[in-house]
Amino acid sequence: MATATMTFGRIKVARRFGLALRVAVVLALLVLAALPLLLGGDVWAQRISRAAIYAIIGLSINTLTGHAGQISLGHQAFVGIGAFAAAFMASRLGAPLGFGLAAGALAGMATAAIVGMVALRVTGLYLALVTLAFGLTAETTIFNWREFTGGGAGAFAPRPALVSSDHAFALLCLGVLALVLYADWRLVSTKAGRALAAVRNDERIASTLGINVTGYKLAAFSLSGLAAGLAGGLFAHWNQVVQAMDFEFQVALVWVLMTVVGGLRSRLGVILASAFFALLPLTLPNFLAGLPWQPPFLNEAVYHVLPPFIVVVMLLIVLRFFPGGLGQLLRPATRWLTKGGDR
Amino acid sequence: MKQLLKVDGLHLRFGGLQVLNDLSLTVREGQIVGLIGPNGAGKTSCFNCLTGIYQPQGGRVYFDGRDVSHLPTHRRARRGMARTWQNLGVIDSLTVTENVMLAQHQRAGYSALAGMLGLAGTWHRERELRRDAAEIIEYFGLDGVADERAGELPYGVRKTCDMAMALATDPRLLMLDEPASGLSPEEALGLSTTLRELRDRLRLTILMIEHHVPLVAEVCDYVYVLNFGELLTEGEPEAIQRHPEVIAAYLGGTAESPAEPEAADDDTVQFASEPPEWPLMAEGKSNGTA
Repeated sequence: MATATMTFGRIKVARRFGLALRVAVVLALLVLAALPLLLGGDVWAQRISRAAIYAIIGLSINTLTGHAGQISLGHQAFVGIGAFAAAFMASRLGAPLGFGLAAGALAGMATAAIVGMVALRVTGLYLALVTLAFGLTAETTIFNWREFTGGGAGAFAPRPALVSSDHAFALLCLGVLALVLYADWRLVSTKAGRALAAVRNDERIASTLGINVTGYKLAAFSLSGLAAGLAGGLFAHWNQVVQAMDFEFQVALVWVLMTVVGGLRSRLGVILASAFFALLPLTLPNFLAGLPWQPPFLNEAVYHVLPPFIVVVMLLIVLRFFPGGLGQLLRPATRWLTKGGDR
Repeated sequence: MKQLLKVDGLHLRFGGLQVLNDLSLTVREGQIVGLIGPNGAGKTSCFNCLTGIYQPQGGRVYFDGRDVSHLPTHRRARRGMARTWQNLGVIDSLTVTENVMLAQHQRAGYSALAGMLGLAGTWHRERELRRDAAEIIEYFGLDGVADERAGELPYGVRKTCDMAMALATDPRLLMLDEPASGLSPEEALGLSTTLRELRDRLRLTILMIEHHVPLVAEVCDYVYVLNFGELLTEGEPEAIQRHPEVIAAYLGGTAESPAEPEAADDDTVQFASEPPEWPLMAEGKSNGTA
């Protein structure tokens, strides 16, 4: 089909014009996305860092749930351990930022690999329960280990001079997000992505095609933990102090739900939903409290507990009307942007 | 001819149910061997033991002269044991091309990590794999649906895709679980040409479970008959079709006085594509192991 149309000069031009248009649209969207960072001052730079960190977490959950078909309700443990490890490296050992982030990533990976070994034995609801129990246990044990986490005061994670400004730090977070995105893209485009699709759908079929199901499940957990720990390290330096209460079960739940709302296996959907839920608690309460008219019985304290409700409501809407999430809604647009809509 | 697959005394039990009882069989290189028997005789369970999906309680499986009894499924696959599935081994959410490329997993030639990091060689290999997949797809006449999701295709097409995937693993032994089921009688006979061609051109060895007796008689060099998890008899297809115990097992009656084979005009049996349910012919059971 494609080769046939190529022979007609006019259509060729049209296709080339379509390509130019698509590139222009992508560039315009990127500029639009960059505007807050360019014009928004420190507050927006901080928000963008947070959005990028959430997006990495969303992609981490997407690796596990979207690609491998496993579930984790204990992701706060992986992110938290990564954050504490990075903070420990920075404040106690005075290690450079890169080492701290690497330590966070490795700590998250090791933790997730251990949970993954358990996951080889259980599936579905039981896996959800095991990961849930693991996350809660980590909260009350590892996160309260005073020597490692600094106890109630928290662990400090000062930023090095190079990324001490909020804008520089935002660029760092976006850079790491770009790396994670690249890895995810290559993962699904190569043999590991196909193998994971098989493992997710039917383990028996996968194994008779020569795929090491056990290995791929463990790898998915490890990879997911790696990204989660990396995000944790970034979070530590974003906030510059890490406390156990930053990683309570509720955030893990929000992370899983935001990934589903974004759409499993849709990079763009996951990023958008993650960014939305990263910013919601920061912006919504202030926005509502700043409105000229306040409904009775509602005040700022109430507004602060709204975001989790919004997540749940959005989840219900997604499950009912478009199970593919935001990614499904955006598919016509993304398909046009990536393939030119001729297929 | 060299023995490619040797099964020695397989025993498989599920709780109190003896699924396979002292099953032994041999497949020589270049042969097309049939595995037939009534429903519930244990044919698919046998495949599951050979591929390592079931762990039999006793017995050994040798592939290419080496004991693979304790190897996990994926390592047996890597040695060249490929199979198709009665209820199809395609991944519905992937396209036909992606399914075939999935089956090329073990010969991708790069590590999963290298692929994820996007190392230079992996891009090139991906293009080569896609080209190879396109060749296989074309051979099976699937080029028209190469980019369709497998789940959206009709049964027969998905079945062909399953076969293409088994081939894409680059096997030495192809184990087919009812390749003719769901095909029209003409299509089923057309399959015999394909199977012979696969054997001759790709030097494959084929072990197949099949109910469609004209196909078995047409294409198989040797046939094993399974009944109640035991080997009833074995031999060349012509002999098997005249074997009184086989007739009894398929059509009821006893080995001594086979029931009137209505479907057959001479002494050979023309099995229906779905033989009668087994419990109806409990008297037909006898221990005719060869």
